Amino acid sequence: MLLEIDGLTRNFGGLVAVHRFDMRIDEGEIVGLIGPNGAGKTTIFNLITGVLRANKGNIKFAGKDITGRKPHEIAKLGIARTFQLNPLFGDFTVLENVSASFHLRPRSSLMDIYFNTATYRRNEASIMKQSLDILKLVGLDTMKDELSKNLAHGHQKMLGIGRALAVQPKLLLLDEPLGGMNPDEIDFTITAIKKTQQQGVTILLVEHNMRIMDFCERVIVINFGEKIAEGLPDEVRENKEVIRAYLGGEKVA
Amino acid sequence: MEQVAATITNVLILSSIYILLALGFAFLFNMLGILNLAHGSIYMVGGYIGLALIRGLGFNPWVALLLTTLIFGAFGVFLEKFCFRPFVGDFNRTVMICVVIIIILQTAVNIIAGTQVYSLPPFVEGVFRMGPVSVSYERIVTFSIGAVLLGVIIWFVNMTKWGHQMQAISQDIEAAALQGINVNRISALACAMGSGLAAIAGCLIGAYLNLGPFMGDFMLVKILIVVILAGVGSISGIFFTGFALGALDAVLPMLLKGAVSEAIAFLTVVFILLIRPQGLFGHEA
Amino acid sequence: MRDWENMNSHQPATSALLEFDSPTRKYAKPAIYAALIALFALLPAVLSSVYMLHILILIFIYVIATVSLRAITISGQFPLAHAAFMGIGAYLSGMASKWLGWSPWLTMPCAALVTSGIGMLLGFPFARLRALYYAMGTLFFGIGVLQIIYALGRLTGGYSGLVGIKPLFFGSKLPYYYLFLGLTIGSIIALYRFEFSRIGTNLKAISQSHLVAASVGINEAWYRILSVGVGCFFVGLAGAGYAHYNVVLSTSSFNFMATLWLVMYVLIGGIGHFAGPIIGTFILILIPEYFRDLKMYSPFISAAILGIVVYLMPEGLVGLPKIIRSWFTQHLKDKRAVHAS
Repeated sequence: MLLEIDGLTRNFGGLVAVHRFDMRIDEGEIVGLIGPNGAGKTTIFNLITGVLRANKGNIKFAGKDITGRKPHEIAKLGIARTFQLNPLFGDFTVLENVSASFHLRPRSSLMDIYFNTATYRRNEASIMKQSLDILKLVGLDTMKDELSKNLAHGHQKMLGIGRALAVQPKLLLLDEPLGGMNPDEIDFTITAIKKTQQQGVTILLVEHNMRIMDFCERVIVINFGEKIAEGLPDEVRENKEVIRAYLGGEKVA
Repeated sequence: MEQVAATITNVLILSSIYILLALGFAFLFNMLGILNLAHGSIYMVGGYIGLALIRGLGFNPWVALLLTTLIFGAFGVFLEKFCFRPFVGDFNRTVMICVVIIIILQTAVNIIAGTQVYSLPPFVEGVFRMGPVSVSYERIVTFSIGAVLLGVIIWFVNMTKWGHQMQAISQDIEAAALQGINVNRISALACAMGSGLAAIAGCLIGAYLNLGPFMGDFMLVKILIVVILAGVGSISGIFFTGFALGALDAVLPMLLKGAVSEAIAFLTVVFILLIRPQGLFGHEA
Repeated sequence: MRDWENMNSHQPATSALLEFDSPTRKYAKPAIYAALIALFALLPAVLSSVYMLHILILIFIYVIATVSLRAITISGQFPLAHAAFMGIGAYLSGMASKWLGWSPWLTMPCAALVTSGIGMLLGFPFARLRALYYAMGTLFFGIGVLQIIYALGRLTGGYSGLVGIKPLFFGSKLPYYYLFLGLTIGSIIALYRFEFSRIGTNLKAISQSHLVAASVGINEAWYRILSVGVGCFFVGLAGAGYAHYNVVLSTSSFNFMATLWLVMYVLIGGIGHFAGPIIGTFILILIPEYFRDLKMYSPFISAAILGIVVYLMPEGLVGLPKIIRSWFTQHLKDKRAVHAS
C-alpha cells in the first residue's frame, strides 16, 4: 500500500473543507479524484503535500507517517505534484524549469556544487540528459530555450507535469492536468500520463474532464469534503449520489 | 504636577502628529500599494516652507499654514501623477523614485537653510493656568489642530462619497474601477490630502519644537512603525498604534537613557512583526 | 486586498546554469576580464591625485557590499538593513583591534564571520516573513542596530563615533588600493560562483515561486538563511575593511539612508544582472565625484542620474548597451527605408 489516508479533516474557520476522508492507493495504480467545484480536491492535495496542516487524521506514505511534514520533505520522500493554477519558474527557460527541478536526485553536496567538482559536473550532465528526455515525453523539446512565461497555456501545463517528473516520484499528484486544453493537447497529455504510469509511477489525479474515466482504474468521488462514492469508473458513473452531486438528478453522460 | 501636565500634552501632541502622518502615508499605501518613503521629507519641507512664508514673506502664521497646505496639496497631485502612477506595482522603481524625491527635497533644504536649527513662531502666545497646572496655549492649539484634522479625516473617510471611494479602491482596485470610480482622480486626491497633512504636521512641529534637516528621516521611521504595526489595510488600527508609539516616545526617554529606550522600542517592533507580520489589526495575510 | 506576501521585488532571473556560449564568446570573456584587472592594477601609475585613489578604494569597498546585497536579493528577499550589517562588521573589527589589541589582519575575517553568523541567526525567524514584511522587519532591525551601538557608548564611542582603530598599513594609500582591489576581485569571483551554480539557481527558483520550489524538494528556509549568511559575510568584510582604512567610524555611514544608497546602487545598475551592482556603484560614486565642485548642489546630479534611469531605463544601467544598439538598428532601418522609397 503506497498511500494510506485515515480520517483526514481540515477546517477553515467554520467551513469544513475536508471531513473524515479515507483513501488507499496501491503501487502502480492510476486513481481519479473527482467532484464538483469546491468539493475539497485541491485541499486534499495540499494536505498530502504538506502545504496545509490537517486538523485531524493522518497520512502514511510507503508505511511512513507524513502528516504535518513540510512540502520539501515530502518531495524528498517521493511525492511530486502539479498545481491547479500552474505556477512555474517564469523567467527560466523550458529546459531550465525542468533541470532546476532535479534538485533531489542526483543530489550534489554543497561543496561539490560550489567548487564545481567532477562529481557535480557528472551529475549536471546526467540531469541535462534526463531533462531532455522528460521534455521529449511532454512534447516540449522543440521549445526548450523559450522562456516559460511566454508559452501557450497548454504547453505551460505540460511543463508543469515535466517539472513534477523531474522529482522522479513514486507518487505523482496531478491537479487538473487537462484544464484549459484543446482536444489534441488532451490526447497527448493522456498518452504522456499513461507512459508515466508504465514507467512505474503511481498516479492520483484530480480532474473535471470526464475523459479520465477511460483510463483511471479506480475513481473516488467527493462532495463537500466527504467521500460519497468509490469504485470502478462504470460503477461510479451510475451511482445515484454522484449524479445528484453533479447535476441534481439527471443522468451523467 | 507640572511634569504630568507637560507629559500628557507631549503624549497627545506626539500621538496626533504620528497619526496624521501615518494616515497620509497609509492612504497611498492601502490604495495603490505605494510605499511613499518620501513622506517624511514632505513633512520636513512643509515645515520649512511654512517658516519661509512667515519669516521670509511676513505672512500671518494662520495664513501661512493654509497656504502651505494648499501648496503641498498641489505638490501631492503632481507627485501622484508623475512619480507614483507610472510605477504602481513595481516595488523596485517605487523605492527608486522615492529616493530621488528625498534627495531633491533634502538637498534643497540643505542649500537654503543649512544645518542651522530654526523654529516657527508660535501660533498663539501666552500660557493657560488652572491651579497648579500651567500649559502654554501653543500646546493646546497644536493638539487642537491635530485633533480637529483627525476628526475631519474620520468624517471624510466614513461619511463622504470620496471617502467611500477611497475605501473601495483600498479593498479591490480593479473592482472599484469597474464600478466606475475614477481611480486616478481619487488617488490624486488621496495623495494631495496626505501631502497637505504632512505639511501641516511639519509646521505644527516646527512651532512646537523646531525644524532640523534630519526631521524627515527621523519621522519616516516612526510612520513606518505605526503603519506596519497597525497592519496592512487598517486605518483604524493606526489610531491605536499611533497613540501607543506617541505615548511610548513621550514617556520612555524619561525612564531610560535615550539610546537604550530607542533600542528597546525597535527590537520590540521587530519582535511583534515576527510574531504577527500582518500587524495588530491587519487582515489575515 | 493586495497580496503583500507575493509582491516580491521581482527581478528577471535567468538561470544561466546552462551557459552555452559560442567558442569566441567563451574566450573573449576571460580576455576582457583580464584586461580590466590589468587596467585597474596599472591605474595608480597614471592617477594625478591621492584623492582619486581614495575614491577608488571606497568604490572597491562598496562594490563588495553591493554585490553581496545581490546575493541575498536573488532569493527574492529584499533586506533593508545591509548598511547596518556593514556597520556591524566595521564596529566589531574596529573595536577588537582597539580594545583587544588584535591585528586588523585577524579582526577582519573574524568580524566577517561574526557578521555572517548574526545574519544567519536573524535569518531563522525572518525566513518565514514574505516580501514586504521581510523588508520592513529588516528595516527596523537595521535601525535597532544603530541604537544598540549608541547605547553601548562606552565601547563604541556612541554618538561621537569610534576612534583609535588600528590601520592596516601605515603611510601611503597605495597598499590599501591593491589590497581592496584584490579583495574585490576575490569577492566578485566567489559571489559569481555562488550565483551561477545550482545554489544560485535554487535561490532564483525560490524567488519565482516558493510553492513550486518546495514541491521539488528545495528547502526554502535553509536556502534563504544561506544566502543571508553569504551576503552578510561579504558585507561584514567590506565594513571591516572600511574600518581599518578610515580609522574612524561614525554611525552615519551605516544608517537607513546608507542602506537605501546601497539598494539604489544595485537597482540603478540593474537588478536582473550580476554586473548590475558593480556598474551601479561605479557610476553613482564616480559621476557625482566628477561634479564635486558643485559642492552643495552635487546631489542634484545623482538625482538626475537616478531619475533618468528610473524613467528611461527599465533594466537599469546594464540595459544601456541594448538601448544604444536598438537605437542604432532603428536608425539604420529608417535610413534604409528612406533610401528604398
